[in-house]
Amino acid sequence: MAEHVILFTGPMGAGKTTAIESLSEIEVVRTEANNSERHIADKPTTTVALDYGEILIGAEEKVRLYGIPGQKRFDFMWAILKKRAKGMILLVNSDAPDPIEEMLSFIEEFRELYDRGGVVIGVSRADVVAGPTLGDYSDALERTNPDMVIPVFTVDPRNRDQMENVLLALIANIEMRAMFGMMTTEAV
Amino acid sequence: MSPGLHTKPAVVKAASALLTEMQGVSSSLTYAALLTDDGFDVARLPGETDGARFAGMASSMQALGDAVTHELKIGNSEYIIIASGKGYVVQLRVPGKELVLSALWDNDATVGNALAISRSYAQKMADLLK
Amino acid sequence: MAVEVNQVAGEPASVSMGFPVTVGWTHAAMAVYSVLRLNTPVNLKMHIEMHSPLLIDFRHHAFSWSTPLEIFPVDAVHTGLETEPTSDAAPPLFELPGQDLDGLLWEMGINSFGGAPAYWLPPDERYRLTRWPNLTQHRHTMQQMQMMAVLGNTFVSTSELAKLTGADESDAQRLINALSLMRILTRTSAAPAAVVVAPTAATKRQSLFGRLRKRLGR
Ligand SMILES: Nc1nc2c(ncn2[C@@H]2O[C@H](COP(=O)(O)OP(=O)(O)OP(=O)(O)O)[C@@H](O)[C@H]2O)c(=O)[nH]1
Ligand SMILES: [Mg+2]
Repeated sequence: MAEHVILFTGPMGAGKTTAIESLSEIEVVRTEANNSERHIADKPTTTVALDYGEILIGAEEKVRLYGIPGQKRFDFMWAILKKRAKGMILLVNSDAPDPIEEMLSFIEEFRELYDRGGVVIGVSRADVVAGPTLGDYSDALERTNPDMVIPVFTVDPRNRDQMENVLLALIANIEMRAMFGMMTTEAV
Repeated sequence: MSPGLHTKPAVVKAASALLTEMQGVSSSLTYAALLTDDGFDVARLPGETDGARFAGMASSMQALGDAVTHELKIGNSEYIIIASGKGYVVQLRVPGKELVLSALWDNDATVGNALAISRSYAQKMADLLK
Repeated sequence: MAVEVNQVAGEPASVSMGFPVTVGWTHAAMAVYSVLRLNTPVNLKMHIEMHSPLLIDFRHHAFSWSTPLEIFPVDAVHTGLETEPTSDAAPPLFELPGQDLDGLLWEMGINSFGGAPAYWLPPDERYRLTRWPNLTQHRHTMQQMQMMAVLGNTFVSTSELAKLTGADESDAQRLINALSLMRILTRTSAAPAAVVVAPTAATKRQSLFGRLRKRLGR
């Protein structure tokens, strides 16, 4: 069976679990625990190991959707989960104290997913706090990674239609990058 | 949903005392930690282990255990054991609390004994928090 | 005071004071392109039959129009166009935030020049995206998305873009026009043709993109 592993990354409360819930066709495997950091993200639970969802394409192929826990203290899970992924949807919540810095640090941390596949960035919760403009995100990326043209979209992870668009944009990107031989490493 | 137990000095103090007492009961206990469901270290025995990191890992493991029992429809996970050549980890939830006890034992202890001690101290912790 | 757009833009006479009634968005796109290129503070007001006036405040990269973009009137009849110099200090043309101008530029760019190159685009050039448009906010086809994935990663000409994605050349051109109007394309005549190292990846039936898109009913 052909499998395509897509990883959802980004800080706590960005909407990774929500996004996978929106996209998955199976009941999502969740590892939510009571959140004792309500001051960082005001929500009852937080992911402590992973999220897992699936989209089946025919009988022989599936897209596996994995979500990470957002907090740095779970970075051992990041290391486990990034190994098999060939693309990343990086979600950043607009109402974080410094969403651009969050984006840059996750790009840095998961850079190998760009090198071997592709990355799309979704800015969530822009309806809660407008935050920086998309241009600000792109400017910061250009400054730190001048060779990357990474799509940056606003997105509401609760909205399935938007999430499908983000996922398809990622897949299109991964395939075009493969077609032009732009990937520098292979998935393990 | 309460603010993390790791932020409450009284809880941290009681948890530390309890772990020290637990170590007194068995010399095979080489490390133990109490941690919140979302991976914060509440108390731990002194040792070389990176307590913050271990707390994160133990909470992930607890949640994965729960995800597996949920998937298999066999209720809630009661405890988790990881056995290795040099010892084993016994981990279980403090009954009714958002708290996990994880303990590392050397091979001089039997699994049964280690589990019994862990269980009784998990219960003691629960009683303390009542 | 209404000022004729060509005075501001300094472009060859294509939009005149006695505005000719025109059908479609080509003239509007040219006017907007001129203002954007000059980057001087100017407000723009378009009069369109059967619709309320369309107002653009370039200083705030915003527009105001009662017609929603979801029902963008491709064959709108334009009866007049006014440009009005303003200043950075002057109050906005309408209550902010208004709508993001990019949404309008996208629709306008796709729906002008009848699939021929926008008049400001010289022939024989290759294009590449400098950044992506905010796709979740613009109506787009899957083919447009795929074309943007090409443009995001390499320099291509319009005809190469069409060939690589199986699109009609006029559709590829419409996309190039729109991205160019949005000022998120870079272009050069110097870039060599892209080398395809894994040609099967993008062919329609074999691509994951194609299968997933079908699976999701898009
Ligand atoms: N208003 C609004 N709410 C959103 C948006 N995106 C996500 N949310 C909400 O924000 C919260 C996001 O929570 P999660 O999906 O748990 O976030 P996460 O990224 O998985 O967080 P961790 O697992 O803790 O790292 C949920 O309550 C969502 O309903 C958005 O665009 N707008
Ligand atoms: Mg989560």
